[in-house]
Amino acid sequence: MSALARIDDLHISFGGVAAADGVNFAVERGEFLALIGPNGAGKTTALRLVAGLLRPDRGRVFLEDRDVTGLPAHARVRLGLGFTHQIVRPFYGFTTIENVMLAAGHHQTENPWRAITGRSRTAARDKAHAILQRIGLAAQAAQSPRALPLGQRKRLEVARAIALDPKLLLLDEPLAGLSSAEAAAMADLIRGLPGQGITVVLVEHNLGEVLRVADRLIVLDAGKVLAEGAPDDVMARRDVRQAYTGVV
Amino acid sequence: MSAYIASLVSVVGINMILALSLNIITGFCGQVSLGHAAFYGIGAYAAAYLAKLGVGLPLTLLAGAVMAGAIGLVVGLTSLRVRHDFLAVTTMGIGFVFLGFVRKQKWLGGELGISGIPGPGLDPVTYALLIAAFAVAVIAFSLWVKQSWMGFTFDAVADDEEAARTVGVNVSIYKLTAFGIGTALAGLAGGLYVYFARIILPDTFDFVQSIAILTMVVIGGTGSVWGVAAATIGLTLLPELSRAAADYRLLIFGAMLMLVMRFSPAGLAGMIRRRSPA
Amino acid sequence: MLVVELAAKGLVYGCMYAMMAVGLTLVYGLLRILHIAHAGVFALGAYMTVTVANATGHLALGFAAATVVSALAGIAIYRLAYQPILQHSAFVPMVVSIGLFIVMQEGFRMIFGAYGIAFDTNPWYVANIGVAGINLTYVELAMVVVSVVLLVGFGLFAGLTRAGIGWRATVTDPQMATSFGVDPVRVRYVNFLFGSALAGIAGGLVGLLNNYVEPTMGAAVSYKALAIIVLGGLGSVRGTLIASLVLGVVESFGAIYLADIFDRDAIGFLFLIVVLMVRPQGLLGRG
Repeated sequence: MSALARIDDLHISFGGVAAADGVNFAVERGEFLALIGPNGAGKTTALRLVAGLLRPDRGRVFLEDRDVTGLPAHARVRLGLGFTHQIVRPFYGFTTIENVMLAAGHHQTENPWRAITGRSRTAARDKAHAILQRIGLAAQAAQSPRALPLGQRKRLEVARAIALDPKLLLLDEPLAGLSSAEAAAMADLIRGLPGQGITVVLVEHNLGEVLRVADRLIVLDAGKVLAEGAPDDVMARRDVRQAYTGVV
Repeated sequence: MSAYIASLVSVVGINMILALSLNIITGFCGQVSLGHAAFYGIGAYAAAYLAKLGVGLPLTLLAGAVMAGAIGLVVGLTSLRVRHDFLAVTTMGIGFVFLGFVRKQKWLGGELGISGIPGPGLDPVTYALLIAAFAVAVIAFSLWVKQSWMGFTFDAVADDEEAARTVGVNVSIYKLTAFGIGTALAGLAGGLYVYFARIILPDTFDFVQSIAILTMVVIGGTGSVWGVAAATIGLTLLPELSRAAADYRLLIFGAMLMLVMRFSPAGLAGMIRRRSPA
Repeated sequence: MLVVELAAKGLVYGCMYAMMAVGLTLVYGLLRILHIAHAGVFALGAYMTVTVANATGHLALGFAAATVVSALAGIAIYRLAYQPILQHSAFVPMVVSIGLFIVMQEGFRMIFGAYGIAFDTNPWYVANIGVAGINLTYVELAMVVVSVVLLVGFGLFAGLTRAGIGWRATVTDPQMATSFGVDPVRVRYVNFLFGSALAGIAGGLVGLLNNYVEPTMGAAVSYKALAIIVLGGLGSVRGTLIASLVLGVVESFGAIYLADIFDRDAIGFLFLIVVLMVRPQGLLGRG
């Protein structure tokens, strides 16, 4: 069975600095893959390139063998891709459940004709409610995201992405800014996703949690893949530890 | 219904369609447009020109709406390319370009506009009722959109475009849809105006008119269908009820814009929402 | 030589637009507000110039009055109209500004009459001087000289004085500037003071140019100034200056060569729209 997603030789530069300098890797169906690396290694850039929020200067992105390099982000979502932002972006004008409902009703929003002819929000509301329960935000359903603390806003971001029924979920530093208890809880939450049929690729700095939950690691450094493999094997490598300089 | 009441109903009806059409673009989808009068004008000029050639009423109205909507889509395409901040000035520019063009074209009457437009083939009262019917239809349509998934999606686009993209919304298509529908309806209003006034002048469709339409939307509560409808009726009838209000019409508009935005940016609708909890 | 004449007139108008547009871009750069009421300050300056000049017989007093009153008006507008609503989205202050402009325009109409005032003595209106083979009236020449002097003066202020550097820092990075002890409110006052004074003087000069001051005179200039600050890249003073001159010249040529298709006021906006289609960030804006 071929890989769910593949990145081929991606290059992108910002102001003369190469943020991605020939990045290659594949994502296998059902796995939990973590992209790690020191600051400025290009992890978030790589993720945003896969999501379609950035266009590469060179190279290609494949989703299920289909070349999606030219497709904008929303089109990739329609092909089964979900994304959460590093700095969360809920719709502050919506309630928590409305945030998830919009994603849950993604069939209705596919094009303006479907949108204008569809009135019922019941199915979307039920689905959103179920997701909020799984995520542990059911009590906050009617609240505005403004009233939620960061940990809950991050959960909302994940809930909204899950509501898209993605095959592949890209998470950009979902644990950043969380207390250790919150981070552990979030890591456990995400760890359960491949079991629900959602392949996970995440970018993270919090190595402790990542080593606990990931199946496979890819280490990026200066825009290139430095190492990949099982967490223990990768972290045992000298060049990887050197790249981090001082971090275990 | 006397002829006077009929003309009041007609004016209110036309303004209603104009205000609600801008509400779809600015209120629902969050796209600033300071040149909406241009589409009112495009619809009017298209309908007037065809009417003078002998084309019948339903077709002229349709032509006005289609013409305005088509050019509106082109303008919508510009909105996709420029930053939000630029959109206000760009749409203002569209208004001036339209006016500047129309004032110079001899075949459109130049500075003197188009006169001697044939009547609608209906007596004034019936025509007023026709306009009212269109206005009611536009209210119903606005409410429908607001309650549909299109309204939900528009809200998302107005709230945060990038977030909308990450939930699979094709933001560009929705913005274009808002522009297309809003400008086509403004064109319809233009066509209706033509048979009411029987003469059209370029200055009717200037920047002041764009601001007058914006005023009705803003004071009603940008996005609120009932608020905008109520504000339109109030602001249109005010100069009729009070001679002083008529003389100082612009001053009152300006003052209301300032006061409402200063103290209740969500307009009338905002004030009412605050009174009733939930 | 028609081309040179057109270019020269275009530059004259460009200088006038620059005086207006700089004030607009200063406000935008600092507060992200489209200060449409700036047009009202322009007209206010014109009315001050003509009424005081006619009352005292001295043009210089007229301009002095225009400068002071406009500057104060600008600060008043900031304090009363914008400061209370800065926390809202940019749409709100913009609409307030539109409302304020309409109120000011109507105010002028009610106080000074709808038909306009002329200068009692305006020797500069007709007298002209030949410069490099082109005929410029004294007013047109004055416009270029005054704008160059004032703008260069501001440039020196911004580049060389402590206050000026503090101002530049605030525009680039308000939080950083505050941590260095720059008072952001004072910077805003300076912005509005200088920008509004410029607009008032420009108003007086245009009044002299046409020998006529009427309530709606701010409108056309203001709209073009808005187009200019977008063209120049919102917030960039240098971009605005260049865009002002470019627009003045383009308009000058366009008004002649496109006279059958578009009227003069539309030319500037047409140019803006065409440029934005090709370069959405403006002539000099960063992408």
